[in-house]
Amino acid sequence: MTQEKIIETLLDFIVADDERAIVGSTTSNEVFNEIALELYRYQFSFNDPFRHFSSQRGRTPRTVKSWQDIPLVPINAFKKLCLSCCRPDDAPYLFTTSGTTETGVKGKSYHSSLDVYDASMTRGFKEFFIADRDSIEMSVLYPSEEVMPNSSLAHYFSLAIKNFGTPQSAYVMNHEGIDFEALFERLNEAEVNKEPHALLGASYSYIPLLEEMRAREISFSLPAGSRLFDTGGFKTKSNAPTLDDFYTDISRAFGVPRDMCINMYGMTELSTQFYDQGNVVCPSVKFGPHWIKTRVVNPVTGRELPQGERGVLAHCDLAHFNIVTSILTEDAGIATADGFKLLGRADGNDARGCSMAVEEFLNAAQT
Amino acid sequence: MIERGGYLPGLSVDEVEWQALYFDGVGSKFEIQVPLLSEDQVRTLTTSVRNAARTKLKAMPVAQIIEIIDCAINRLLDRNDPYRKKCEEILPLVTGYDAEMIRLGLTGYLKTFRKPELQKFLVEDFANPTILDDFQPVPKGGYARAYGPDLLTHIWSGNVPGLPIWSMISGLLVKAGNIGKVPSAEPLFAGWFAEAIAAVAPEISDCFAVVWWKGGNTRLESILLEGSEAVLAYGGNDALKSMRDRTPITTRFLAYGHKVGFGMISKDALDIQKGKLNAHKAAYDVMRYDQHGCYSPHVFFVERGGKVSPREFAEYLAHELDVFESKYPRRSLSDGDLNNIAAWRNEEEIKSFDDPAGGLIGSAGKSWSVAFVDHTERLSPSSLNRTIKVVAVDALAEVVPLIAPYKTTLQTVGISASPDQLFNLSNSLALSGVTRVSALGCMTKPEAGWHHDGRFNLLDLVTLTEIEQSAIDGADTLATFVD
Repeated sequence: MTQEKIIETLLDFIVADDERAIVGSTTSNEVFNEIALELYRYQFSFNDPFRHFSSQRGRTPRTVKSWQDIPLVPINAFKKLCLSCCRPDDAPYLFTTSGTTETGVKGKSYHSSLDVYDASMTRGFKEFFIADRDSIEMSVLYPSEEVMPNSSLAHYFSLAIKNFGTPQSAYVMNHEGIDFEALFERLNEAEVNKEPHALLGASYSYIPLLEEMRAREISFSLPAGSRLFDTGGFKTKSNAPTLDDFYTDISRAFGVPRDMCINMYGMTELSTQFYDQGNVVCPSVKFGPHWIKTRVVNPVTGRELPQGERGVLAHCDLAHFNIVTSILTEDAGIATADGFKLLGRADGNDARGCSMAVEEFLNAAQT
Repeated sequence: MIERGGYLPGLSVDEVEWQALYFDGVGSKFEIQVPLLSEDQVRTLTTSVRNAARTKLKAMPVAQIIEIIDCAINRLLDRNDPYRKKCEEILPLVTGYDAEMIRLGLTGYLKTFRKPELQKFLVEDFANPTILDDFQPVPKGGYARAYGPDLLTHIWSGNVPGLPIWSMISGLLVKAGNIGKVPSAEPLFAGWFAEAIAAVAPEISDCFAVVWWKGGNTRLESILLEGSEAVLAYGGNDALKSMRDRTPITTRFLAYGHKVGFGMISKDALDIQKGKLNAHKAAYDVMRYDQHGCYSPHVFFVERGGKVSPREFAEYLAHELDVFESKYPRRSLSDGDLNNIAAWRNEEEIKSFDDPAGGLIGSAGKSWSVAFVDHTERLSPSSLNRTIKVVAVDALAEVVPLIAPYKTTLQTVGISASPDQLFNLSNSLALSGVTRVSALGCMTKPEAGWHHDGRFNLLDLVTLTEIEQSAIDGADTLATFVD
């Protein structure tokens, strides 16, 4: 299959606006499987490191019979291998991870086209965040795409504003951080005009914002229909609020009920995002659209775990067609009947003796 | 019965608030109560332990302290003793380590603290141990007496059962008042040891205490650090730095950071018979406490040119680990542990794309992972829990530059080589920061009196008071018998 044909097939599958598209329906599952296998063959042919990886795991187009058989590429491999079906130099778009986990090395996703990414983002965002509306006034607590050209999240927010933001929507973060004056003025106006407002940002962006609001002793009571969006969660353990405290705090600070505080779970290594239906209860259940499927697996064996058992999330995202569809994350989770609970990053430092952790070891090196 | 951690002389159970810690036992959750001390309670403990040690322990001859420790250790070695029974029953639930491994490990470890071994411990650091009791003549002239600190604080870390008593015994031998803070990962053993000492010698039962707080509670920790004359701290470098920054400049701060060990196997040790035996011993070192010890191996450097090739050695090692799995199963792992193993395996797998002879040995479903690397590679820590790498080298001397950047992180090296090679290698390893060389199979069992991280267990704790010859000469002029 050619890339053009793949893009066409995917766009068709993503925008499919009938019962087929409903998660879990038999037809959509069959189509999902067909496309996943088609993409696997495509990636096996054109993505050299992936072919090597897959063969090493004893998986070839001959032995891969269903999407579950596609070998899971660990996200760490995005740092070490150049995973792309087109020549990386020919890829017009490159998204990289922030590179915080390993000294300086960033995970890379090369995109030969963003048509599918954009369609995937737009459909998911509409269904899970915009929902009943056509548009909403947005304030984005994140730098613009021009400032961060290799950030998938910056691109994501630009699509959000472009497709669903009212003309008054704006970025309220610049090089120096959050522009508090501008933001508070916008929120005040929303209150006065009784216009629903959406505040969007990385989870950690809310922390300095809450601090500033506490210091100024201000809070808002945004009109009904307003919503809050956060993503990324909190990676470091110390000083990080519990999710429950976090949603209580932002809900109170902006007068937005917790069922309208939506968390998005996405990653550079995917072209599709997951959402919850608010955070009345934490951890919330996350849902994805019909072109992505998630399993909870044992990360060492890749074996799928039964519903309710804690493991690591593995995703098969058809929209990530130029790279690999099936990835193994380092995020802990539990499968539920129709989605999964995200339990945060699982790091193994909870029980450790006096032997040294890799990071500490590298830091101790005298070069 | 609810098991309580800590040992708090002078505080009754009702005076203390308790918090439950839960551990995933086999089939059920196991609960331990740990004390939630108030700032005042910590302050009171530091004062009372310091005062008790000053009046009671300081007056006790070191030989008598040895007798007391010997008695307590013998109780812990006696399989019918209630404390020993608790160790065997509860420590596997708390740490997740295999029960039989703990039982054998404890016996092997505890027996290094019986009277004869404690005497060795003393003479390793003091030519004349009675210098701890009274002024003794010293070679330079005059007399000297060694004093331990009035209050010695121990901040323990990790989950390897028993390790805290190493420093606590050191503290007792120098007659220090001891307060130890246990880690959440294993909050029990130190308290039991304290109780056993108190049972043997009630007269010194208030000269030590064992406390707990959640790691990172700098408020309580600072009270203890500020009240101490010396601090023995174990943990990661970041945690150690934070503690050191909160310790008064006048307090001696002795840090024991996390360490990395490795093994070296010469081609002389790689004929068919010795190769297999060495693989068995190497696997034993990996299996013990699932590599959580500072002395545990993470990489074995294997010399090419023997009858058994490095690759074959790696396969033997995999086989031996497989055999150990049925005898001493690996501890149950958290998501994070599994993630670390997955990440380690994936990295080795990806690296092997450029190293056709290398790669992982055995399937992902095993409880161990062996990676073989057929080219020179720097030392790196494993992901623990029985993940080990075998790196082939043309000559063991090549290893020295591979470890050189990590001087501050090194500790134990297990070596199987000829006598000449052993001493030659040890010279270069010593210069690279290695402080302990053992045989394969003994890496996790340091001998009695071992200088932990190359330091003096006891000497580092004491302060000498010297009476110079001039004072004695001067005194002589004032003696009653002077004409």
